[in-house]
Amino acid sequence: MIWGYVAKRLALLLVVVFGVLLLTFTISHMMPASPVEMMLGGRPSAAEIAKARAELGLDKPLPVQFMRYLQSVLRGDLGISMATHQPVLSDLVARSSATLDLTGLAMLVALALGIPLGVFAAVERGRAADRTLRLGSAWMGAVPQFFAGILLQMIFAGGLGWLPLQGRLDPQTLINHPMQPGSGLLLVDSLIQGNMYVFRDALLHLILPVTALSLGVLALIIRMTRSTMVEVLSQEHVMTARAMGLPPLKIYSRYALKATLIPLLTTVGLSFGYMLGGAVVIEYLFDWPGLGGYAVNAVTTSDYPAVLGVTLLLAVAYLTINLIVDLLYFAADPRVRLR
Amino acid sequence: MRLFHALFGLALAASVLAAPRPSLAAGDPDTVIALSEDDIIDWDPASAFATEIRAFHGVYQTLTHYNPPGSETPLSPELALSWSRSDDGNSWTFKLRPNVTFHDGTPMDAAAVKAALDRTIKLNRGAAYIWDGVTSIEAPSPDTVVINTSSPKPIDVIASSQNGAFIYGTRGGEVTPEWFGEGKETGTGPYAITSWTRGEQVVMDQYPGYWGGFQPDQFKRVIVKTVREGSTQLQLLRSGEADFLSVFPPTLIASTKSDPSIKVDIFPSWKNTFIMLNVKKGPTANLKFRQALTHVIDFVSALPAIYPDGVAERATTIIPVDIWGHAPQPELTYDLDEARRLIEESGVPANERKLTLAYTSALDDYQNLGLLLQSALSQVGVTLDLQPGPWTTVWDKAKHLETAPNLQLLNWWPVYATPGDWLASLFRTEDPINFNLSHYSNPEFDKAVNEGLKLEGVDREKAAEAYATAQHILYEDAVVIPIVDLKTYIAHSASIEGLTYNPAYDSIPFASLRRAKQ
Repeated sequence: MIWGYVAKRLALLLVVVFGVLLLTFTISHMMPASPVEMMLGGRPSAAEIAKARAELGLDKPLPVQFMRYLQSVLRGDLGISMATHQPVLSDLVARSSATLDLTGLAMLVALALGIPLGVFAAVERGRAADRTLRLGSAWMGAVPQFFAGILLQMIFAGGLGWLPLQGRLDPQTLINHPMQPGSGLLLVDSLIQGNMYVFRDALLHLILPVTALSLGVLALIIRMTRSTMVEVLSQEHVMTARAMGLPPLKIYSRYALKATLIPLLTTVGLSFGYMLGGAVVIEYLFDWPGLGGYAVNAVTTSDYPAVLGVTLLLAVAYLTINLIVDLLYFAADPRVRLR
Repeated sequence: MRLFHALFGLALAASVLAAPRPSLAAGDPDTVIALSEDDIIDWDPASAFATEIRAFHGVYQTLTHYNPPGSETPLSPELALSWSRSDDGNSWTFKLRPNVTFHDGTPMDAAAVKAALDRTIKLNRGAAYIWDGVTSIEAPSPDTVVINTSSPKPIDVIASSQNGAFIYGTRGGEVTPEWFGEGKETGTGPYAITSWTRGEQVVMDQYPGYWGGFQPDQFKRVIVKTVREGSTQLQLLRSGEADFLSVFPPTLIASTKSDPSIKVDIFPSWKNTFIMLNVKKGPTANLKFRQALTHVIDFVSALPAIYPDGVAERATTIIPVDIWGHAPQPELTYDLDEARRLIEESGVPANERKLTLAYTSALDDYQNLGLLLQSALSQVGVTLDLQPGPWTTVWDKAKHLETAPNLQLLNWWPVYATPGDWLASLFRTEDPINFNLSHYSNPEFDKAVNEGLKLEGVDREKAAEAYATAQHILYEDAVVIPIVDLKTYIAHSASIEGLTYNPAYDSIPFASLRRAKQ
């Protein structure tokens, strides 16, 4: 049954990706822009521009261009970026690891802090700690990420000088402490290779952008965990456990928290989309060499192949994560029926 | 076991956060860090034509070097020790500097120079047009290169160009744009690229085989780091994490005066700002109306607010004051009564006195100039619609008459030291239009410019006379409103010494810098 469901979802994924590509292709090509001039750079002649347009097929009707693009995508060729002059696929690969470092850690932080704080707020329901957490999470959820980022930069980098202002590493870190090629995830690679200097520098550079990026999701997880826990804690099986004298920690972790798993999975799945969207702003703000900064640059320079490449990657990532979440529902609660 | 895990986690966190931050380059006598708002896009020295030159001028070199204004001679030797022109001006012979090697260790000889220039011309990208008219390049001996042209051309000056004239190794014809695109290079300069982290930074180290040798206090390493936002760049400079900025609005100069760690140096440049008037569209097709527009800018009191602290000087002609061929024209006066009189005389009906001004939205001074002009024109009964946008969009619209604005605000600078770069590129008759955004066509003007271009290679004085004639025609026809000759202002760490600037090369000469001893 599960394989049939997966096959159905994968087929749906293809349809959605096609729709997303069609929409993005149409919108990006209708914008009043001249990416060829940007691609050629400097002061290209009229003949050079015309030649480049013909070479790129931009002189063909839009449907023909779209069909050609789809054919090349099926061959695994996402085109050449007009802004970086590199294959889009290689640009995406090069930048994905930085985004994964950032969003992965931000999600981990949000989960690691959000769940215990949500449980704590539920246990302390109505008391000062609960009120403080609810107020705090409301603020965290309301504050725009870019504002949080600027604020953090001003205080901890510009003002106190405790943390780096931007970038993924200090300029000389990899020169003086080189790393072997790895997954591209700096924290993971440096830990595996035992390069603690790079690990420390990478972690210090991650603190501010991760904080800014995780605030919104953290708020969501705290509130979701709290509301679910409040409901669960008043149910009979929990009250029975209490009456039997089980230790509170055991009750919360073994009996009550399990009930939050399904809504938590939903939140995490949806939050990945929020994270990826937020990463665009945060990466730009912190000069983070990831997909977000790449996407902003692609849009502002009307770099069609790059815009389409990023959109394709993010759409596939988002849909895949949601598929995994759906499958995890099944694993978490066998009563769930996959259709 | 749980206690052990908890303690281990705590120890790890403490070691990360309690340890001092990894050392930065601030004060490092061996390393200089320059910031750039863009990553290197085009690594090919044959076609690179944008901000790449910030890094390339430490890596690549040219046959001749154009000297800064005020020097005894316009040119000095670089990879060529001497050069001479044939009597008819159609052939140039360059004697090469001996014992020069590319960064891959191969010799820079006549065959290599020919291969590089032939490739640049064949590729025909970027600034390769500077070699238009070159018919052949010969290498009669290992130290002699001959460049032949179809008509006299200043090949000695062209060979010093900041774009399109780099001499690079072609590795036996193996190099391609894709090969360079991996961050590889084959220059002869003092610094060789040792690493490129896409979107992050370029690292260059001293090339041990550099023909010029090194002084002990020269920087051993140069890092060009990509930081997009100007405000972030300034914070990095303030915190000592960078030595040079690339984005720095002039309005911020005053704010840095009280900071002893920052210094701002101002140098002459060959950049200028002007407004091109569309002579084929709407009210600006009318000469009297165009002449009226030359009287609405308050050069004396309004411009210093837009360009404070001496970062620009009032201009009277399209050729900047610091380059040869500059022929000053009568100063344009701020006289709104005269403007009103000319507008009435033009016969343009009151309901048609509507103009558009296009400019790239990236620069604050453009926006301020637009607002200034809008306010001034409203006082003479003319409506001005401001149309900012990304440069490529603005340019594309301006090329086509149906979408072109009446007024186009623009910056310009020459690829090599010639007034012809402004006059020929911007105002000579074009079909289709490329940079002649005034859509101007005047045979008399074209003749003067062509004469100047022809004479540049044989008689610069006579060429300057022809260019002066061309500039006066532009003044008479009111095709352009020269606004300012810009200065180059460089904000840098106060610990940097030896900074010079040559307007012929819009880059920081890293090899001449050193760190002041603490």
